[in-house]
Amino acid sequence: MNAGQQTRRAAARAGHSICRTCLSTPRPYATAAAAAPTPEDALAQHIPPVAQSSPSTSYAVNAGVLLSRPPQITRDLHPFEAAFFLYQKRLNERLALPFTRYFYFKARTPADREWKRKMAQRLTPARDIGRYKGYGEEAWNDEVLVGAKESEFQWQVDRLLEDAQTTGAEEEGNAVAAAAAKAETEAFERPPSRVTEADEKNDTKSLARALQRTLYLLVKNKEGRWEFPQDRLRDENLHGAAQRILNTSAGPNMNTWLVGHVPIGHYASNYSAPKSLPTGLQEQGTKTFFLKARIMAGQANLKDSALGLKDFKWLHKQELEKAVEPDYWRQVKNMLAER
Amino acid sequence: MALRELPYRTATALCRDARPTVNAIQPLFRRNASTDAAPEVETTSFADAAAKPDAVVKDFDPIARSRARRRGKKQLPPSRYQYREPKYYRGPLHPHQPLPVSDPASRRFQPGPFTLPRLDQTYQSTIAQDILAMTYQHYPPGYRAPKVEQRLREWQGDSPYYKGRPLRGPRGKGEVLRLLQEPRTFRNIPKITKVVVHSMVPEAMQDSANMHVAGMILQAITNVRVESHKARHNVVGWGLREGRYVSVTATLEREDASHFLEKLIDVVLPRIKEWKGVPGSSGDGHGNISFGLTPDQLALFPEIEVNYDAYPPKMIPGCHITIITDATSNKDARLLTQAIGLPFYGKLND
Repeated sequence: MNAGQQTRRAAARAGHSICRTCLSTPRPYATAAAAAPTPEDALAQHIPPVAQSSPSTSYAVNAGVLLSRPPQITRDLHPFEAAFFLYQKRLNERLALPFTRYFYFKARTPADREWKRKMAQRLTPARDIGRYKGYGEEAWNDEVLVGAKESEFQWQVDRLLEDAQTTGAEEEGNAVAAAAAKAETEAFERPPSRVTEADEKNDTKSLARALQRTLYLLVKNKEGRWEFPQDRLRDENLHGAAQRILNTSAGPNMNTWLVGHVPIGHYASNYSAPKSLPTGLQEQGTKTFFLKARIMAGQANLKDSALGLKDFKWLHKQELEKAVEPDYWRQVKNMLAER
Repeated sequence: MALRELPYRTATALCRDARPTVNAIQPLFRRNASTDAAPEVETTSFADAAAKPDAVVKDFDPIARSRARRRGKKQLPPSRYQYREPKYYRGPLHPHQPLPVSDPASRRFQPGPFTLPRLDQTYQSTIAQDILAMTYQHYPPGYRAPKVEQRLREWQGDSPYYKGRPLRGPRGKGEVLRLLQEPRTFRNIPKITKVVVHSMVPEAMQDSANMHVAGMILQAITNVRVESHKARHNVVGWGLREGRYVSVTATLEREDASHFLEKLIDVVLPRIKEWKGVPGSSGDGHGNISFGLTPDQLALFPEIEVNYDAYPPKMIPGCHITIITDATSNKDARLLTQAIGLPFYGKLND
């Protein structure tokens, strides 16, 4: 039997082409779009359709600050990426023109002799791809064996440092020459570790942790909930409020920069029962609009916090998921950076 | 049979108006022929492979294996097992077709990428989202952008040849059609597409050695083969003669461009004495920013410093660096270049 025909017939039998959710809820955008092509509307195209359905209800508007510290170092490569890059580097050794030695080293100079020694040891001008020769009968043997360290970042850094610090005479047993050369080469500073002390202690108050990730400032409010710093909007605009919250909540001991004047996300929550306001409106809940800020220097300090905050943490996205409530996480997760 | 009926079952399950929940969930839990096969599909074992080298793996020596296999046997000539790409493209109907560029056996193959540049990572993790937050323009739902009318001019007149003729460009000499400013979305965040390093060497008309030195220097600092250009016109005041080679350019893309900019911004520019920054008047209105380096400043590149003696000191040229972005205005291009660490000074060109 023809399955396609059956499907079409079944769909025709079904009747309704609108799903139940759409039937029950009004769709404001769709009605606005449907009303668009009328000619008198063409003049009013810049006027946004502002219509309040029920003027008796309202929401408290809060301003929040998403204060973040961007990643400080490059990310760790996936083993596949590392292997791919090493493969491409070795492929390049096979395809590139030979190194122009005499353009860089004058013949019969100490530098030239050192170069010759090192080339004899590693067979290739590149210092970070291991012992591999790109020319000749056995150039096809460019794949590293299982368990080889050549593709690892730390191994490559070590080889570069070793190349700078040695002269190549060490392995040949020429102790006098090696000692003389060692005195000449300056001591090179090793790059600092990619895992810091705060990482090992899991000190979430420190900014010198998780250097590869974006860290976000999370504070514990009066009720004991973890959330981003926020406060009720007073007679001010959003970015003014964000600046005020930054100054009053986590102290002025931070050099911060407010990125743009538009909110990048929002969080809405309803009260269990609507509150009556003196103006006669019914307040249904709160809506918090988050502005983005970056910390350049300094550290959060809750000593003179005007918002009654109890504690703070610097967390990345995955840690943040566990720290905040599920509903909060659901609404804020899309404004946080993956890395 | 069960598989063939699946579309029908899905359609009926979705179209039924009122139904008990058990019926609605039913199609999801129905057992199909493929259900058993699914758990057997292996997830990637790439990362685990390195973890457990056993004795066989340890003793594996590809060179020795290959020698043992070849011992006492005559090897085939390369023409029997190696495919050689044709040197020239002889059209789509020729039986001997060139290989795709991505094939390492192709003559046009370029290896790479070799690294994941830091600048690219910073752009993806920090710069792009900040630019989006800074330049975002909110339009309320229901807003429709005003229609852009035809910006090119029609041919007006009685001539029958005007019919179907391509429209005319803007009026005035040197006028070009400006780029449209699209509203900012996550799809059109400006990014750096190319960097062009250009060095004009008019002295090359007397002595071509200047040209060679300029080419070597540009190749050393950019890691890209340079292209040389002829003078297009006679200019008596500058002593230019038409058809003589006077300049070299290197066009950098992707990884090369990122590495060059990293080097320039973090190593070279901080070492220049009293460097004011990129002139604020820079920018052509189409997202390109240019600035120049003098011979002294060019010599600060680490690739040149390492063997400075190899270049004749009088022949080291200056250069112009153009950062080509896909921004559509000076302002956006400046925002991007400032974000990667280039300061601007003076009156800004908007």
